[in-house]
Order: sequence, then structure tokens, then C-alpha cells
Amino acid sequence: MFDKILIANRGEIALRIQRACKELGIATVAVHSTADADAMHVRLADESVCIGPPRAAESYLNIPALLAACEITRADAVHPGYGFLSENARFAEILEEHRITFIGPTPEHIRLMGDKIQAKDTAARLGIPVVPGSDGAVETDEQARRVAGDIGFPVLVKAAAGGGGRGMMVARNEAELPVALATARSEAKAAFGDGALYIEKFLTRPRHIEVQVIGDGVGKAIHLGERDCSLQRRHQKIWEEAPSPALNAEQRQEIGATVAEAIARLGYRGVGTVEFLYEDGAFYFIEMNTRLQVEHPVTELITGLDLVIEQVRIASGMPLSVSQEEVTFSGHSIECRINAENARTFAPSPGRIAYFHPPGGLGVRVDSGVYHGYRVPPYYDSLIGKLIVHGKNRTECLMRLKRALSEFVIDGIDTTIPLHTALISEPDVANGVYDIHWLENYLERE
Amino acid sequence: MTQEKNKPEKDLIRELAELLGETGLSEIELERQGLRIRVARNMMFTGSPVPAAAPAPHAPAASPTPTSPAAKSEPGDHPGAIPSPMVGTAYRAPEPGAPPFVEVGSKVTQGQTLLIVEAMKMMNHIPAPRAGTIAAILIEDGQPVEYGEPLVVIE
Repeated sequence: MFDKILIANRGEIALRIQRACKELGIATVAVHSTADADAMHVRLADESVCIGPPRAAESYLNIPALLAACEITRADAVHPGYGFLSENARFAEILEEHRITFIGPTPEHIRLMGDKIQAKDTAARLGIPVVPGSDGAVETDEQARRVAGDIGFPVLVKAAAGGGGRGMMVARNEAELPVALATARSEAKAAFGDGALYIEKFLTRPRHIEVQVIGDGVGKAIHLGERDCSLQRRHQKIWEEAPSPALNAEQRQEIGATVAEAIARLGYRGVGTVEFLYEDGAFYFIEMNTRLQVEHPVTELITGLDLVIEQVRIASGMPLSVSQEEVTFSGHSIECRINAENARTFAPSPGRIAYFHPPGGLGVRVDSGVYHGYRVPPYYDSLIGKLIVHGKNRTECLMRLKRALSEFVIDGIDTTIPLHTALISEPDVANGVYDIHWLENYLERE
Repeated sequence: MTQEKNKPEKDLIRELAELLGETGLSEIELERQGLRIRVARNMMFTGSPVPAAAPAPHAPAASPTPTSPAAKSEPGDHPGAIPSPMVGTAYRAPEPGAPPFVEVGSKVTQGQTLLIVEAMKMMNHIPAPRAGTIAAILIEDGQPVEYGEPLVVIE
């Protein structure tokens, strides 16, 4: 087991990792930019190292600074959290070269799933159902037209090097295709440095359902059920729940088993999430995230398993702590992402939190690094916390969520708490009847 | 304020400062008859003479101008403090056993190497941003430093 873990992240996930390490008796090093010197996890960690100025490129993405911090603190492992360098194969490799454990999958698997075309090919080979589309990159507009004709419009033009909902454009018919291709190509080049594109069938009303997996790195893998993350704005999830209101027990078992078996055959190490679009009873693989996800707590609450502790255990060479048969699902869980943004305009709202009072009680969990008097810095993404509730069933869960939201006070900045409060009152949300376009349609109406 | 009025305060302050030294306390605060005096030991500087008292009377009595930075300020707040541009281990000499690049009192020119910050076997020379005199050296040889940590003070 590790003696000291360096947490290469910030905000709520850094605090999450700090907590797991403490429970395992592992010393922690919090690295931070000058803007995060007062962060809660920095205060709680055993050691802290300031690694740069506020800009992420000079701090949280600064590999030499992170390595130097490992060196001076003698950390023997790094937990990358999510975002930042968590899916950077080069970072994982460099750590390996320096005999520091990267808590995550191998660089090979990070690369494999980072290239969206290769990921799709791999998924198909492993028996995971995929979205019909071009077999690989489309080189020419002519080729694109043929492929689109074969699979049928509407189609989605996607960046091979993209992911996380970025670098995608819809073409509803053949006339819209050339513009979609040109736009996606230039956006992809600008955002990811790679203009390669592929095409997929565009599903009109799918749900986003993802399956949580864990592999031990030596051929065993289990699934921990699915999460429904269909409520999204501009491809960013804001509300996630487990299990999905759209699946029955049989479907859940089937997709879980398919995914677990495929991941086991891959020899995957660590946690990962296989994401699908689900429409009319069919699953379509879109991508795999080779890291811990923001919404992992909903899975933790219905299974009783600590996913960060699992990550650390597996990275240190220990086996999975449970077998598939031992995994049980109990009740229902919903997570609301709380962003420092105006709930109507979504304008960012950094600044000082003048009053902070989180909700509590049975089945209520708040994952957040903010506190009374904390200054939300303007340099990073706007997620300041997650409210996750658990109930015996979805109805109880919704009642509890409504109650918890009504107690939650964050004054001094704008937050998206009012949006979540409004959503619970919507019949579609209360009934679990929504798809990935639902939220944007709702926001347009309001 | 007349000279005569200042004298009792000065003597009192001197007495308190001596008391600090004798007792090993780091701070003494005295309040009476509308006068409050706080005398504190500045522990921050290494290498330069440590002032035993930083007089800061709150009373109407005129306060002598402190000749050293006020007791509560951090050495890094000194306008001449040079912060580390990176994370690593600071070394005062080009190699073990060699004389240090600079000492307190050294006069340096702009661009002159003050010390080395090493990370991953790469030695990074830290240059003086301007000419001046080394007033203080805030790190020890072989000490790990973080980004922004004050290394030396140039005046």
C-alpha cells in the first residue's frame, strides 16, 4: 500500500480523494495554484506544495511542476482526479518512468480510449454494441456523403480526438453536411490539435446511460450498475441518477454483464465508465472514460462501495474488494451538480461565499470543498459542489432531494440550486421521462 | 509631543524588550492609563541580526520609526523578496562543498546567479532580477521550495 499520495487536482474531487486517503491511513500531498492556497483540501492535507500561478497550464497541467512536487515530498503515487491530466497518457507514462504509481489505467488503455475512433473499434471487437457510422475517419467530403447516405440522416460529425461532448456538429440532411464537416474540422483542430473526423448516426431522442466498471488489471472486471445522465446542457451533465428510470432489471443485468465481460477481456485496470446512448431498447456505445467520473457518488450510494478506495487498492496491486455476485444494489440515488453560475443565464459567478449552510440528515451527502467565507476563484470550471441523496426508492429520493435543496444556503454568489429546485417540480423529471434534449428544450421554454 | 513625555515610554519599551530576551517570550503587551504597548520578537529572518523589539505604541506618545519591518509582517512581503519561480530543492552553492553563490551582504548585479533550484536532476540557476545587496537569505541549503516561496531579499 502507498505511503504518500499526491493529489493532482483541485476543488471537490481533491477533497474526495483526500478523504479516501485518510481513511486508508495514507499521507497526502495537496498541490495547488496560488489561487487555491485556501482550499479546504489544502488545509486538510498533510503537506501542500504551491506549484504555480492560477492558470491551469502553469499549475494543474504543469507536468514538470507536478513531478518536482512528487520529488520533494517523496510521494509514491499520484491520484489525478478527473479532468486535467487524468486521461493524459503521457503524464501516466512519465510517472511510470519515475517509478511513481499513476492511480488509473495503463497509458496504453488511456490512449486507446482517448482516440474516439479506435475506442469505438475496440468496443465493437469486444462485443459492445456501437452506434452505426463511418468505419474510421472520413477523409473526404465525398466519402462522408456516402457514409451518411448509408446510415441515414440525420448524422453527427464528430472529432476523433474529441470527447466530453465537444467537437460535434449535426447535419440533418445532405445539404447541411459540407458546413458541418468544415466547422467540426476547424473546431477540432483548434480544440484538440487534430482535425480528423468520423460520422455517426444521430439519435433523435436518446437517453445517456453509462455503466460503471472496475478492473483489477489482470483479467477480472465487474460492473457496478448504470447511471442515467440524460439531463444535460450543452453536453454538460447537471443531474445524474442511479439506477436509470428507463431500464428494468433484466436490461440492467444484460448491459452490465456485456460491458464487464468486455472490460475484463481488455485487461483493464482501475475504474472506468462505458457511455451509451439508449433509444428504443437498444444501447449504442459512444465512448469510454478511463478515469473516475464526477457523478461516481450515485453509484457509491446504491452499492455501498467507496470507488476512490477501490482505485487506490487496485493501483497498489490488491484485488477487487468484491466479486460480481457480492455487488448488491439498494434503493435510488440522485446527484445535483451545483455550479457557481446564475441559474437562468448560466453566467459564471465567482466571488466570496458570504453564507454557507449545507443540508444534512439521513441519506443526504454533500461533496464540496467550499465553506463559509470561501472565495470561489474565477480561473477554473464552475462546479463548486455536488448534492447527492439516497432513498429506498425513487419517490423517497425525490422527496428527500426536494427537502435537502430547500435547506441548502449559498449566499454571496449565484448558484444553480434554483434550477434544481425547479426541475424537481417538473412532471417529466418526477416521472423520469426525459432524454438528452429535454433540458435544453425546457430552458428554451422558460 | 515633547521629549520629556517620550522618555518614560522609551524606557518602558527598552525594559519590556529586555524582559523579552530574559524570559524567552516572543510577545509582551502592556496596557495602562490609556497607554498600550506591544513588544514582539521578530523570528522570521535568518542570517540578519534579529531585532529584539519592534516598538509599536498605540498611545498618543510619538512612536519611534521602526528600523526593521514590523513584527507581524512576513519576510516574503518585503518588496525585495525574490520568489521561487518553480518547485524543487534549493541549493546555495553550485555543488556540495563549493562556496555559496551569495551571502548576506553580497552585492549582486542583475542576472547574477543567487542560487540553484533543482528538480528532477535539472539545475535551474535563479538570477537576480535587479542589482542590489543581499539583505537576507530565507532558505537553507537543500531545502524543498514551492512556487512563489521567498528565497532571498535584495535591497
